[in-house]
Amino acid sequence: MSSSTDSPTLTTETTQLSPQPDTETAKPTKKITLKSSDNQIFEVEESVAMEFATVKSFFEDSPSTDTVPLPNVTAKPLSQVIEFCKEQIKFKANPDEAQKKKYNAEFVTEKSDKDLVDMIPVANYLEIKDLLDVLNQAVADRIENKSVEYVRSFFGIDNDFTAEEEAALRREHAWAYEGVDED
Amino acid sequence: MAVKSVGEEGMSLSVLPEGCIAKVLSFTGPTDACRLSIVSSMFKSAEESDAVWERFLPRDYQSIIFTSDSSVLLASLSSKKELYLRLCEKPIIIDDGKKSFSLVKKSGKKCYMLSARDLMIVWGDTPSYWRWNSDSSSRFGEVAELISVCWLEIRGTNLCNYAISRNNVRSIPRVQANRRSSRAGLPASGADLWGMQEPVAARENNAQNPRERGDGWLEIELGEFFCEEGEDRELEMSVQEVKGGDWKGGLIVEGIELRPKEG
Repeated sequence: MSSSTDSPTLTTETTQLSPQPDTETAKPTKKITLKSSDNQIFEVEESVAMEFATVKSFFEDSPSTDTVPLPNVTAKPLSQVIEFCKEQIKFKANPDEAQKKKYNAEFVTEKSDKDLVDMIPVANYLEIKDLLDVLNQAVADRIENKSVEYVRSFFGIDNDFTAEEEAALRREHAWAYEGVDED
Repeated sequence: MAVKSVGEEGMSLSVLPEGCIAKVLSFTGPTDACRLSIVSSMFKSAEESDAVWERFLPRDYQSIIFTSDSSVLLASLSSKKELYLRLCEKPIIIDDGKKSFSLVKKSGKKCYMLSARDLMIVWGDTPSYWRWNSDSSSRFGEVAELISVCWLEIRGTNLCNYAISRNNVRSIPRVQANRRSSRAGLPASGADLWGMQEPVAARENNAQNPRERGDGWLEIELGEFFCEEGEDRELEMSVQEVKGGDWKGGLIVEGIELRPKEG
């Protein structure tokens, strides 16, 4: 999956699947430091950081670094994303589809609308596909059959259409506005 | 310590990128996506992307379109959304003119109609009993006009998975007979119209209440049945009135439609 055979010094290639201790030094698993835009430091195990495709490729480019600054990711969504990925590592080691499904469902259920919306661009930017799928489905479920106004406030988005434009668009797809839930 | 950082400096993640919005919308359904296109101009642009509508089209839409009489026309449409709406608005004719295919606008589920030529009509090839006409209000080249019979029996068979909806949702198609009455009206009252399915019994409808379709045709629900994704059981449906022995006439049969239950 990577070019580890070409570059034996690459530190990112340790696989997470078998947590066997390093027999020579018996040192704990390598930690990687992530720094959020609001200067919070997150120490995570290398296996967790490698779940972030963006971080992984960063290490492939600069294998000697141990701190990854993430200048456009704030601490809160980052900590939630890390929490999710830590669990996924466990499921990778011991596959249990039912448990994984249950965990993923609970993970999103307990999050506020804003938490979910804030995590999407972070998961997208860090390229965590599993999490993105979970988030997209959760958000889609929450906006299902909701009014336009409700969804605007859900995402914190301002309407940038003029009243005329909006009315014309509503007429065009009038069928889609029937039987919408109360806000 | 790292000198450079991941990503571009100054790129804010406080705004959802359009690609993310498109992804979220693709996890909703056609009705939600269409309605939410007016949330903002970015939502509109995300909603119109092919990535969204590709997911609302049935997975096998390309092979269905490929065999239709309008494959060239459909291929010329500029977006997947346009294609979707086109398939909702006007059925396409497939299977050498024997069936039609369309989508339910709100859900994207599939509808098929078996044309009269695709049905087994008892005495259908005897011109004094049944006549084959072209009818400008029909989607098919020919419709079957009942002149007069005692033994009225129309049967249709179809592979169950023909009628399946997308995304392995269980669908409950209704079986419909589309008919237009001539001056003689519907078949003699008490005509026994029913749908059946083997091996699982469908709900039969003996209380036929014809509904106007608004295009000159009437339809009568025959029954409903469950279909699982990937099932290829054969579904059999029939319309018959063979008990009374009266002469019946004045019925024009366009076909039997299989469509998913609403909601």
